[in-house]
Amino acid sequence: MIEYLLLAPLLTSIICFLTKTRKQVETVSVIGSIATLALGLLLVNNVFKYGTIVTWQNALFADAFSAFIVLIVSIVGFVASFYSVGYMGHEFDHNIFDIRKLKMYYSLFHIFMFTMLLVGVTNNLGLWIAIEMTTLVSALLMILYSRKSSVEAAWKYMIICTVGITFALFGTILTYYAAVKILGETGDALNWTSLIAVADQFDPTIMKLAFIFILIGYGTKAGLAPMHTWLPDAHSEAPTPVSALLSGVLLNCAMYGIIRFYAIATKSVGVGFTSNLIIIFGLLSLGIAVPFIILQEDYKRLLAYSSVEHMGIVALGIGFGGVYGIFGAILHMFNHAMTKSLMFFGAGNVLLKHETKEIDKVSGIIKTMPVTGPMLIIGALAITGSPPFSIFLSEFTILAAGFLQGHYVPSILFLLFLIMIFAGFFNNISKMVFGTPKPGITKGEVSRWNLAAMSILIVFIIVLGVYIPPFFYDMIMKVVAVIR
Amino acid sequence: MSEIILGSKMVQLIIALILVSTFLILGSTRLYSCVRAFGIQSFLLACVAGIVAYSTGKNDIYIVAVLTLVIKAAVIPYIFIYIIREIKVKREIELYVNVSPSLIIGGVLVVISYYLIRSISIISELSSFALSASMSLVSIGLFVMISRKKAIMQMLGILIMENGLFLGAISLTYGMPLLVELGIFFDVLIGVLIMGILIFRINKTFETIDTDMLKTLIG
Repeated sequence: MIEYLLLAPLLTSIICFLTKTRKQVETVSVIGSIATLALGLLLVNNVFKYGTIVTWQNALFADAFSAFIVLIVSIVGFVASFYSVGYMGHEFDHNIFDIRKLKMYYSLFHIFMFTMLLVGVTNNLGLWIAIEMTTLVSALLMILYSRKSSVEAAWKYMIICTVGITFALFGTILTYYAAVKILGETGDALNWTSLIAVADQFDPTIMKLAFIFILIGYGTKAGLAPMHTWLPDAHSEAPTPVSALLSGVLLNCAMYGIIRFYAIATKSVGVGFTSNLIIIFGLLSLGIAVPFIILQEDYKRLLAYSSVEHMGIVALGIGFGGVYGIFGAILHMFNHAMTKSLMFFGAGNVLLKHETKEIDKVSGIIKTMPVTGPMLIIGALAITGSPPFSIFLSEFTILAAGFLQGHYVPSILFLLFLIMIFAGFFNNISKMVFGTPKPGITKGEVSRWNLAAMSILIVFIIVLGVYIPPFFYDMIMKVVAVIR
Repeated sequence: MSEIILGSKMVQLIIALILVSTFLILGSTRLYSCVRAFGIQSFLLACVAGIVAYSTGKNDIYIVAVLTLVIKAAVIPYIFIYIIREIKVKREIELYVNVSPSLIIGGVLVVISYYLIRSISIISELSSFALSASMSLVSIGLFVMISRKKAIMQMLGILIMENGLFLGAISLTYGMPLLVELGIFFDVLIGVLIMGILIFRINKTFETIDTDMLKTLIG
């Protein structure tokens, strides 16, 4: 089951590489992503019906939390592959990409999907390897455009994330050391399933040290401040469909690593130490995002800083803890993935049309692009946490958890930052959406593929804002049970 | 058990030599010498792994030792030399921090690492010697990354850090499970290849590999 899920994107990638024409490569990519989505949903269904799946001599496994990550990866991957057809097609039509680059793009895209799925289903805490692989592949995706700025962004991304991840490796080694003392030197001593069972016997001093290294290491990859400096560059310079995957999915994968270790470390050292650390990093991320969002001049960077903010919110939810806090954080991971992808897709449409990323050089989208405009407004309202959209619900849950658990100061700061970000973000987006259109911009949307991808996402944003279906609620409760 | 192996004079000598090789990198302004010093360092690391494998009798560690020898002591230095030749880099490294202060900072980092590891009481039961050497390598690697101008030296810095962690893993737990070690080798190799591609790309777009040029994206 899990093998097939991993095989689907790999095969797609190889076939993409072998195709000859644009039509072929697009068909293969879309079919491949549909297959990945179908297998992903099947896996999710099996896990929630029959419980944890373990295969390949314990190397691969899927519990509720893995399945949840698989769900996010495959949904966003699916819509992003739709969007790619429109976006990359446009670049192809305008001779920015030739067929060789187009094939390269789709091959790498599906390998990228593979690595992210691998993060979710690796039993071994060597999920480090999978996370490092995501960095390597996505750096290659970034330099497909040979602009100076993309090369610079890719280099920074590669160097900073690799160093960060090296720290995470040290944390992993320390955890293994703690585990070996209890479990003995077996190949299983890094497996999640065997670790969590005995985590309460681990040496707390070692686990404290390990957790600090893990939090800094994976925190770099998750874009937590102050290790976030590569993020705005990388997310704004990548091709737009990839930006959506980076922001919506990859950050969650890194967060997944942190949360797994959080669960182990908390069992060993008690809840106070780990939660306080995570709360500090979370608040810092929110706080640092505020001025950059208010004063931002580049709309893709605006979205990137908003990702820093939202990862901070997820971290806060985990840090506040309790059923509500973790429930909110998990729900927020999903909601943020959907909403941020929608925003990047909208921004991508604007970019194709206006060929600039400067906020001041764009206006009147609602008149020139009658579908993208309203969608951007809905997305902006949703991402800043206004009711009745999905993010409001998860942010509210996290805030409530903060007060319930007695973290008054962080909760109040959280609320203040949210208000400032709302004002700044919405101000910037409304400058672009309203007003008179810039001269020379013709009316019309870029591609129907793009709009199709965005409509799928908007359904999630609106529906989950007013109603959480019982099966989805059960799913998240099961994830919460895994973490606590 | 671990005391016996890692405390043995032989291993201590090799670890000391590993530190010396790191200082060779700090003290050199020529790219080739840096790459050679890195090769020597990896070779010595493979020796440590070999000795640990011999004394524990574990086949897994033999595999790791051989892989270290092949990948880190041969293939990766070769990739470096290939890059240096292909893009005709100036053989001199420009430094933000000169050689003599670099060496002093390196020394200070070693001392700090030593005391840091000593003060973490839990690990004192273990060979704190190997672990403090590992910490030193990690911190000196970081220092190389920030104090040298050429992109190629940042790549080398990362690899020094990785070597440090390898030493740490060997001295703490005789390395990680084989599956994980193999994965790490795979990642390091692919990582070096991709960084190589990026360096070629940087050279093509900026016509230099000085990272001074990479400062346009801010705010």
